[in-house]
Amino acid sequence: MNTKILEANVRCESGAAFIDLQGEISAPAEDALTRAYEEAIQANTNTIVLNFSAVDYINSTGIALILNLLVKAGRSHRRLYAFGLSDHYREIFRITRLADFMKIFMDESSVLAAL
Amino acid sequence: MELMMLSEFIHPSQPGTERQLVEKVVRAVGGRLEGETLERMKTAVSEAVMNAIEHGNRNREELPVRVEVMASERAVKVRVTDYGSETPIPETTAPDIEAMLAGQAKPRGWGLFLIRSMSDEFHITNGSGFHTMEMVFYTESSGNEYKNP
Repeated sequence: MNTKILEANVRCESGAAFIDLQGEISAPAEDALTRAYEEAIQANTNTIVLNFSAVDYINSTGIALILNLLVKAGRSHRRLYAFGLSDHYREIFRITRLADFMKIFMDESSVLAAL
Repeated sequence: MELMMLSEFIHPSQPGTERQLVEKVVRAVGGRLEGETLERMKTAVSEAVMNAIEHGNRNREELPVRVEVMASERAVKVRVTDYGSETPIPETTAPDIEAMLAGQAKPRGWGLFLIRSMSDEFHITNGSGFHTMEMVFYTESSGNEYKNP
């Protein structure tokens, strides 16, 4: 197997929890995403920001995993933001309608300005 | 459309290896596709290979996935064939994200949706003991390449 394991690291900025993602978002990414989300909600914030700047591949399973994060966030009345998507993946977020339920920003400074 | 065969690959059904095959397809295509069209092709072929491995061949490594890459002056055609199951590939509608967010549907079904959305043309052949997905990508952009569901 040639899959790159996802790295997901959590930090806090301006009252939001940022999850910095690196690698692929595919089936093997589930554990890392879940752990990062659980760590992020410990920050006692109602905004979680996904940083896709270092993500080079998202497949359909990855879309489902991101959707799972949206479900969790929604149930706990948290907002999910995202930035750093390539043009291609921004289009995928649009046609899958993920972008209808999470705010998509171009870069981190745009997110910080909105917080 | 007069087609020239660019390359053909036989790939084992190993989950998680679709990107390797996509890179072979990209090399076979050469510079015929670029920019957004190339990215759409990569996503569509990746999902088609994943579908062939996981749903068609049920992750059975000994069953192959066959990929054919062809081109004409105006388009690139990629065919992905699996040999594992009699269950036909279904016609698919857009997954209902609102039902998924409400917990009324599982967050699945995005693969076929992405293949259809990323391709300029998409055809399924369900045969006896095989399934073929055929994806066509026009080499010249003609407007809204990302199809809305």
